[in-house]
Amino acid sequence: MNRERSGIERLEATIGEVLRFGTITSSTMFAVGLLITVMGYQPMVAQLLLGTGLIILLATPPARVVVSVIEYIRERDWTFVVLTVIVLLALAGSVAAAYL
Amino acid sequence: MNLTAELALIIFGAGAMAGALGVALGLGGGIFLVPFLTLALGFPLKSAAAISLATVIATSSAVTAQRAGNQLINLRVGMVLEAATTVGSLLGGITAQLVAESVLHRLFGVVAIAVAGVVLGRVNKRNVILDPTIDPGRLGGRFYEEESGGIVSYRMKRLPLALFASFIAGNVSSLLGIGGGIIKVPVLNAWCGMPLRAAAATSALMIGVTATGGAIIYYGRGDLQPLLAAPAVLGVQAGSWVGARLAYGASVKWLKVLMAALLVIVAVLMFVRSTQ
Repeated sequence: MNRERSGIERLEATIGEVLRFGTITSSTMFAVGLLITVMGYQPMVAQLLLGTGLIILLATPPARVVVSVIEYIRERDWTFVVLTVIVLLALAGSVAAAYL
Repeated sequence: MNLTAELALIIFGAGAMAGALGVALGLGGGIFLVPFLTLALGFPLKSAAAISLATVIATSSAVTAQRAGNQLINLRVGMVLEAATTVGSLLGGITAQLVAESVLHRLFGVVAIAVAGVVLGRVNKRNVILDPTIDPGRLGGRFYEEESGGIVSYRMKRLPLALFASFIAGNVSSLLGIGGGIIKVPVLNAWCGMPLRAAAATSALMIGVTATGGAIIYYGRGDLQPLLAAPAVLGVQAGSWVGARLAYGASVKWLKVLMAALLVIVAVLMFVRSTQ
């Protein structure tokens, strides 16, 4: 029981870090990209920043799920390994539906 | 100033208003942002929903990062229910590509009316058990609650119902560009044993990955443009920040009445739009 508690606390902290990194990075890229757009020069740089920011934004929640899968494998909590893998498969389904 | 810059500023402002209103009422901003983009700016509902989903992801990530570690988020329940919300959002995202815009408008109208009803008659059932030593079970939890002045526990009940509500919430999220918390939170609170704040925090965790399922489909189909999503995301973040501070002293009762009235107007406008 104790080991499980510490495991889930560690997971929550890691998830917090992943989400914080994703939020700060994408928002910064959006802000700089928009500033450049509003000022009206370097449209290529602006597009690159806005595009990359959006990809990072979209990749942040899946990254959080991947971190969870790894943690649950370490804990040998197979129920939750299956559940988090279902989430990843559904996201893969979205990628397939988007491009097929 | 060029046209794109002007549009970006308008979208930023819309995002800020939607974010402030949303956070004041414990909802995401999507339910207000989508109608503004479609009705005031004339965006197709699909691109409005796509932009709104981007703001949902940003809000979920920011809020969850801030709350991580305070035990309000029930990671286990969140990850069980996410399996249902993401499958739902995949199906909703595919459906959105297949049905007519007018159908989406009408569906948004129906959901807005339903949300107004939920807000007005919000069940305020408390599910906390004041004894912190009780075993909350495999899916239950315990957290510090200020109102009770100590650690409180709760147990999860009726998991199949929670899964079903999550699946529906995932579908609606992708179809309409909202988070879906408005469907899950009342169900988790009223029937599944979760205290309101734990249900809301757990829902906020889930809506990020749920919205991603839908957003990926819109992105791949060309309905999610970075230049439009970026100002909306920043606007909602700024609005939520301000709204969280302004809402502190406001009368919750009048906020709810105001919001229900706004939602009814939104619903009427959406129905009108669907007949055009």
